[in-house]
This record gives sequence, structure tokens and C-alpha cells, in this order.
Amino acid sequence: MARYLAARLGYSLITFWVIVTLVFFLMRLAPGGPFDGERRLPPEVEANLNAAYNLDKPLAQQYVDYLSMLLSGDLGPSFRQKDFTVNELVVSGLPVSLTIGGLALLFAVLAGVSAGLTAGLRPGSRADIVVMGVTNIGIAMPTIIVAPLAILLFSVTLNWLPAGGIGSWRHYVLPPLALCLPFAAAIARLTRGSVAETLSEPHVRTARSKGLPMHRIVRRHILPIALLPVLSYLGPAAAALLTGSVVVEQVFDLPGIGRYFVQGALNRDYTLVMGVVVVYAGMILLFNLLVDSTYARLDPRIRLSG
Amino acid sequence: MLLITLKIAFTGSSLARFCSIALLAVVILALAGPTLIAWDPEEVDWQALETAPSLSHWFGTDLIGRDLFVRTLIGARVSLSIAIVATLVSVVIGIPWGALAGYLGGRADQIMMRIVDTLYALPFVLVVILLVVVFGRNPYLLFVGLGAIFWLDLARIVRGQTLRVREALFIDSARILGLPTWLIVLRHVIPNVIGPALVYATLTVPGVILAESFISFLGLGVQEPDTSWGVLIADGTQSMQSSPWTLVFPALFLALTVWCCNMLGDRFRDEMERATSRTHREVSAS
Amino acid sequence: MKTCLAGLLILAGPYFAGPYLSAQTLHIGNAGEPETLDPHRYNLRLEETILTDLFMGLTTFNATGETVPGSAASWDVSDDGLTWTFQLREGLQWSDGRPLTAYDFVFAFRRLLDPDTAASLAYFMYMLENAEAVNAGRLPTSALGVQATNARELVLKLGKPYPYLPERLLYPTGHPVPRHVIEKVGDNWIKPEHWVSNGAYALADWQPQSHVRLIRNELFHAPAAIETVVYHPLANEQSAYNRFRTGEVHAVGNFPAGELDWIKANMGDRLRLSPLLSIVYLVFNTTTAPFSDVGVRQALAMMIDRRVLTDQVQRSGNQPNPSFVPEIVDQYQPVALPNGTMSQAERIAKALQLLAAAGFDEANPLNLTLRYVSGTEAKRSSLAIAAFWKRIGVETQLHQSELKVHFADLRQNDFQVAQAGWFGENNAEHYLGLLVSDTGNVNYGRYHNAAYDDLMARARREADLATRNAILREAERLVLPEYPVIPLYRVMIRRLVDPRLQGWHENPRDVHPARFLNWR
Repeated sequence: MARYLAARLGYSLITFWVIVTLVFFLMRLAPGGPFDGERRLPPEVEANLNAAYNLDKPLAQQYVDYLSMLLSGDLGPSFRQKDFTVNELVVSGLPVSLTIGGLALLFAVLAGVSAGLTAGLRPGSRADIVVMGVTNIGIAMPTIIVAPLAILLFSVTLNWLPAGGIGSWRHYVLPPLALCLPFAAAIARLTRGSVAETLSEPHVRTARSKGLPMHRIVRRHILPIALLPVLSYLGPAAAALLTGSVVVEQVFDLPGIGRYFVQGALNRDYTLVMGVVVVYAGMILLFNLLVDSTYARLDPRIRLSG
Repeated sequence: MLLITLKIAFTGSSLARFCSIALLAVVILALAGPTLIAWDPEEVDWQALETAPSLSHWFGTDLIGRDLFVRTLIGARVSLSIAIVATLVSVVIGIPWGALAGYLGGRADQIMMRIVDTLYALPFVLVVILLVVVFGRNPYLLFVGLGAIFWLDLARIVRGQTLRVREALFIDSARILGLPTWLIVLRHVIPNVIGPALVYATLTVPGVILAESFISFLGLGVQEPDTSWGVLIADGTQSMQSSPWTLVFPALFLALTVWCCNMLGDRFRDEMERATSRTHREVSAS
Repeated sequence: MKTCLAGLLILAGPYFAGPYLSAQTLHIGNAGEPETLDPHRYNLRLEETILTDLFMGLTTFNATGETVPGSAASWDVSDDGLTWTFQLREGLQWSDGRPLTAYDFVFAFRRLLDPDTAASLAYFMYMLENAEAVNAGRLPTSALGVQATNARELVLKLGKPYPYLPERLLYPTGHPVPRHVIEKVGDNWIKPEHWVSNGAYALADWQPQSHVRLIRNELFHAPAAIETVVYHPLANEQSAYNRFRTGEVHAVGNFPAGELDWIKANMGDRLRLSPLLSIVYLVFNTTTAPFSDVGVRQALAMMIDRRVLTDQVQRSGNQPNPSFVPEIVDQYQPVALPNGTMSQAERIAKALQLLAAAGFDEANPLNLTLRYVSGTEAKRSSLAIAAFWKRIGVETQLHQSELKVHFADLRQNDFQVAQAGWFGENNAEHYLGLLVSDTGNVNYGRYHNAAYDDLMARARREADLATRNAILREAERLVLPEYPVIPLYRVMIRRLVDPRLQGWHENPRDVHPARFLNWR
């Protein structure tokens, strides 16, 4: 178990380094420097700016400098948000992104598992058909359509919830809901499939023939096995959720790091984009480690040789 | 493989039939429609700037008076071809990768699949966005970038299939004959796993369509005057209150296509699973 | 298990005390996120908006956007136009109670031009004596033409006459900064916890991409009526519009043009339209064929129907502006467009003839790439322009890019035809200067015309405003028929403002200092 996790950690660190390197050099290839504005910049001033942000050194030197900065936990100054360091920006934006992403994941799991369970326990029933129809529509409706429609309906027309920004709890209702739909649908389908399959397994049939109440069978015998595929889906889902949150943050004007990423990419804010990717990659790798270790503990069949 | 496709399409449930026909209709419209419609996709109708659907413009016109019907179909062309080319890219990377990993087994297999697992968990759409920012917007980049994301699923499937055929007699004999590994994989492994692999590959089509629309929504997709469903939807959300038709029609087309692909994909998967005996349930960590 | 995972994520996210929603608080939608609130490092118009509330330069805006005395109570100019003497207002102080003196202004101007500050807009004050040399590091900052005679008298010495100085001093580049704080905490002076400024408001809190909150400066000589002002970065027109309609913000700077008719019919009392001092134009790269050919440029220019562009395509209130200087610039007579009276058919015939002379016809059509900044309005007008040119057989490729990339490429002269805009000042030279050959890289097309350069140089040596404008007008009349640029239109600012808000006056600079606003 420990060896398995150590190996996983090793792979994660290598991936992390590859991503950092890749993104670092990609950003430097981009046309247009970070200080190109609409107005002219005298060459002396530009030279000063470049020196201030360490852009006047050779590329290899910049790369080494960046890595060593990263090791000490410093993501550097932001090129565009001149009054903030990237650390400050991440500290300010990450809680918003995590709240939206976490709530969306929670909604998706709760709604997905309940719907999938309902459908999977009675395959072919009317409930099953309705659930599967709805989830299929959920998967086919991308966030880019759902989110603006939700704003039009619940904010502009009905005026129940704010159209964007942060503040009270009311700001945290629409964004996670709009974000979680496709994931809830995917989880529902996964759960339905594995619940239906588990139902036919010998130990469940035995339990049923012994006349145990259904809710106990579900809790003791079905869910622990049936949820394994859902669990292994959570890793990729977390990655996809973060990606999706970029759109949601854009549509709902949320000050999360996904929005920084898009703004940073468009403005050639090298350090900010790097910082966001570093944080995203780190979080996702961490989350996957967590999922893996949970999986290893839950599933006796897993071979922990790796 | 082809038999299964045809079976599902024409003898399957009415739902599967509906989906097949709808998809076929979208494809035919995308291919033939633009040439049949009187309007050119770039032609500005100065008499009808941003007007609601009418007899001369079935889906209405967009903000500068271009016929939305023909643009939706052109968008279908672009979105579908991005989806298909990206799928092909994923096939080209994913099948050899999975087949090689499955055939080699052991340490090599572990390393190759671990790479897949790790890549799987990364926000690669963000990397595609970076690519687009760095290299400018062109559809080829989207093809390759999206294909490079979607090969991961395929590699897993193909590896699973390869594990089943690896010990087959004809592969043993090829090995005894002393054929080089790459030739065995190419000649004997891949032809035997390609059927199911291609079925799963079609499942990536809706995924690519959604990913493309996502990137276009952020304003990083296809360039005007070309268009795609993502671009049309992004424009539509910017004017959905004053001219809802600019959002409704492209969104309907996209949702219908993705929905049908998913429904058919489910059926495919069910049929495949029924057809191939369920020898094992692969756990990805093994 | 699954709830426990998700729970972990949520625990990591504390909840926020959001913007206070008290009746006193004013929420304004700004055009985007400020990159800095350091007046000497700022670069964007949307930062100017906030900085105008935070600081007050020697001159300032009144409620209708005119230039009036600010920190200076009055000033005199020497006869040669080179020495400006400012008398500061009595009892000026910083928001922490420290007196504000002429020495603070000396410090501020030196800081602006100090190469270490790396101020991208330092050139705004290049009219000061030795300013360019100081900014390039060739002279010490003490050589700058700024002196304090005593605590209340400031003398600005210029290198050459600059009659628009009071107007130029409105910009944040002319704002004073708190020397006593900067010397203590360095670059951190910009943080809310150290914030000290001399305007009607002080910075209370800034969460990037969410809001900038200002709180009233009680020590300002004329305290503002509204206690708290919150600026929200609303770059997207649709979301600005949505959030205005839900009442989350009280004023927004833009909304989707397609909504204009609906708004006029349903919430006309909230709509504020005002022309902005600005010119949006097409620029030709005059260094490459065939755009080095005046005939080709003229043919393309003749096909543009500004009226159709603004009234039918954009429908957002923009005004056609056939001359390069915005027609609403004060004390300047607009120059009429050559060939202004031809009919459509005559234009097409003439344009085809010009193209044929340059060797383009149906068999060999002119192919060009038109570049524009990504955005709904620029996209619409580019598409329309391509359609205009199609009438004379010109094939137009459209190429959109982000603001940064677009202007970086333009400055590097890497384009054929491009959309560009120039905003801001109430003087003709600000616009015409763009076409002078030694202007540098903002003369995107590298247009060169010796006679024009001479006229412009003559105008710049002239201290008398009327004579200066007459020479400028002559220069514009010379340059327009050469078509280095095709002027298109002036921007109409479309705002939505809560009708309960008093003291909001439309003006061509589109400035609305919060200190003049109040709730009805």
C-alpha cells in the first residue's frame, strides 16, 4: 500500500514537472509581449519593465529562476495585475473556484447517485426511462447554453437570484447548478449501470433470498460495490469540473482562478497563467492521489503491486 | 462491427432508429444544404439585418444580416469535421498505444498506462487554449489538440481488448516465426481489436463537439467568416434577449447531434458487451 | 465517502463578506479589471475612471467633464508659453491628515519620469523641460522642469509651448502620490491597509476580478455625498446588462447593441447616450503594395458607406465621422470629405476605374486581409466593410485578434488594413499627430508626407491656440485626400444609469466623478 502510494506520488511529481515546463515554454512562444498596450512605449521604459520582470535574461536562465522560485512556493509577480503577486491572486481566487467546484461535485454526486440508484434498482421501469432520458439531455446540454439560459430565467426574468459576482449564499446557487448538470448525468448513468449489474451478483441474490429489507441490501451490499466506478470517475470529473468552471466563472463574473486563466492567457500574463496551471495541476494530481488511495482501501480486488 | 451498426440503426428500437435518421439528416444537410440554399453564408441581406425567421430566411438572420440557416449548416460542417478529424487523430495515437501496451505487458505496459492515467487527470482543454493563444486560431490546431486529448480513452479500451487476444494461437505462431514486435502488433493485434475500438472512437465525437463549442465560447475558436456551432452559440448568447433565434437554432442542432450520438453510443456499447463474452471486468489500476 | 471528499473542498473555501448592499452604496459597472491603481503606472481608461475618484491633480473635472482648477486654485502662463506657475489651494491635505504641499507634486512628477518607475505613460508629460532625457536615464530626476517655490507655489517649465497643459494635467500621470507612505512601505503603498490619497475617496478594499471598493475621504475639501462606491469589472456587455437589470449595479458602461430598441421602449428613463471624443478608423500599411498606391486606398475608401455602417449595421448610436479629427473637438472646424457628393453608382464606377489603373480587375481581384480586435461591434463593422468592398470585387479576409496582439502587430507594421481607434483629448493635434512620420510606431501605417510633417511641426511651435488650430486644419485638408487612413465614426457611449441617481451628466469625455453623484 505504502509502496503503491509512493510510486503514485512519484509519477504525479514527474507529471507536474512536465506540465510546468511545457506551459513555461509555450507562453514564451506567444506573439505579443506582456507590455504591449494600445499606447506607445518608449524603448527605455520597455527595457526597464523587462528588467523588472526578469524578462531580459536568457530563456534558460528564466526557466531555472522560475523553477527555483516555484520550489520556494513563490509564483512571482503578476505581469498585468501589477499591484498583486500571483500568490495573492491565487489566495483570492482559489476559494471561489473551490467553492463552486466543490458544490458542483457535491450536487453532481448527490443527484447522480440518487437518480442512478432509482433507475438501476428497477431497470426498464418508468422511473428508469425518465431518469435515463433526462440524463441524456443533461449530457447533451453544454454549460455554455445552460448557464446563460439560467441567468435569463432565474435572474433577469424572475429576479430570484443574482446574475453574477460574489457576496451572499445566493451567489453560490446558480453557478454550481449550471456546472454540475453534465456530471450529475454521467454519474447517474454510471451508477445505474453498476447497480443493475450488482443486483444480479450472487451475494446480493443471497441477501435478497434471506429476506433482508431492501434498504439494508442497498446500503450493505449494493452501494459499496456499485459506487466503485463512480469513485474512479471522480478523478477525471474533478479535472473536467475545473475546466468547466472556466466557462461558469466567465458567464457569472466570478473572481475565480479560471477567470484569471482566461484573462492571463489573453493578456500574456506569463506568471499568472503559469501560476494557475501549476495550482490546477497540483490540485488535480492531489485529488487523484486521494481517490486512488480511497479506491485501494475500498476494493479488495485491487492489486497493489505497482 | 458493420453488422452491429446496421443492426442497431435499422432493426433496433424506435429510439435508435430516430437517432440514426436524425444524425444522417444532419450530415446530409451539412454536406448538401449550403449548396441548395439560395443564400451564400457570407452574403449580407441589407434588407434583413437581424430579423426573425421568415419565408426567405428560415432561421432568421444574424446581427449583420446573414442567413442563419445556411450558417448553421456551415457550422455543422465545421463542427462535425473537427469532431471527425480529432477522432481520427485519437485513433491514430490511441490504438497503437493501447495495442502495444497490452501486447508488451509487464513493466512497459505499466509505464504506458500510468502515463495515460496521469494525463487523463489533467485539465487539457486549458492546454488547448494555451496552444490556441500561442499559435493563433486555426482549425488544424483544434483537430490535433482535441485529438491529443481524446486518445486516452481509446488507449485504455484497446489495451483491454489486446489482453484478450494476446494469448491467441495465431499471435503465438507469429512470435515463434520471429516477426518483429511492431509487425506483430500491426498485422495481428490491431486488426483483431480495431472493431470495438472504432465503435468506442465514435463515442468521442460528441465529446469533441462539446469541447470545440467550449473553446469557441471563450472566443478562442474558429475565425469569422468561418463558423461553427460553438461560435454561433457564443454569438447567440450575446443577443439572446433581443433575437433569441440566433441562439435557439444552433443550440438545437448541437444538442440534437450530441444527444443522438450518445444514445447510439450507448446502444453500441450494450451490443458490443453482449457480443463479446464478459471475461473480466478490468480495473484500471491493474 | 463521497460527501467527505466534497466536504473537504468546501471547507477549504471560506465564505465572503460581499459588497454591502446598503442604500448608500453606489455600485458601478466598470469596463474591466484595473491592472493597477498606481496613477503613475496606469495604462487603461477604466483605471482612469477609478483614479479620478481617488486622486486630484492640479486640474480636475467638474460634474460635466470640463477642466477646472483642482489641487491648484489658479495659474499663470508666461508670454512664451514655457513657464506655468500654479498656486495650490489652501489647506490641502492627504486622506491621513498630512498636509499636501507643492513638494509632493515635485516628488510625483519626478517619480513619473524616473526610469525606475517604468511608467508606460510617462511620455504624457514629455513637454516638461528635460523630461525625455530624465525618462531615458540620461539626466537625474532633479533636472526635470518642476520646482516648488514654497509649500503652495509650483512652477512647471516646458521644453516647448504646450497650450493644452491644464487638460493634460487631468490624467492620473499628473496626480500627486503620498511621498511619506511610499518612502516608508515602498511598493506596498498601493495596498488598502497603507492607502493614502488626496481625492474625494480612498481605497478600502480590492478583490481582483470582483470589485474595488472606495470609501469617502472625509478630509477632502468638498466631501462627497455617497459614502461607499464599488466598482465591478464587467467586461462582458451581456453580463453588465443582466446585472443592471437585476439591480445589482446602478450604472453600466455598455450593453448589447441589439437591446437598444427594447431599452428605448421599456426603460428609456435609464438610457444615457453621449458622444465620446474619439475616432475609429481604418489604417493602411502604406509601406506595402498595393496599399502604397493612393488610387487603391481611395477606391477602398470611396466604397465605405459610413451611414449604413453606423445606422443599419451597428445601430448603437455611433456617429459617422468622415474627417480624422472628431467633429466635436472644440474650436476646430471639421474638414469636409473629398468626393462627398457622388452617388453610389458613380462611386462604384470611379472605384473600379481606380482599381483597374492599379492592375486589379475581375480576372485579377484585389485580395486583402482586414484585421480587427475581437469583440462584437468590431466584428460586425468588419463584416460590413468586407461586404462594401465586395461590391467592387475586392476579396477581404478577416483576421481578429486580442487587443494586445492586434496593437502589437500594428505597431510592428505587420498588417495590410486594420481597424484602429484613438480616444481622449479635446484637441486636434492629439489625432493628427498620429500621421506624422516621426511619431514612431503608433503611426501604424508608417505614413510619410514631408509637406504634412512640416505643417505639423509649424503648428507645434505655435503657442496661440487659434493660429495653431488653423495650421492643423490646413494639415488635415492636405492629408485626407491621400487616404493614409479611412476615418469611420465617433463612438457613442451607451450607458444605463439608475434614475434615482442624481448629478449624472453626459459629456464627451464620459467622466462621471462619484463625488458629484447623490441619491434622489
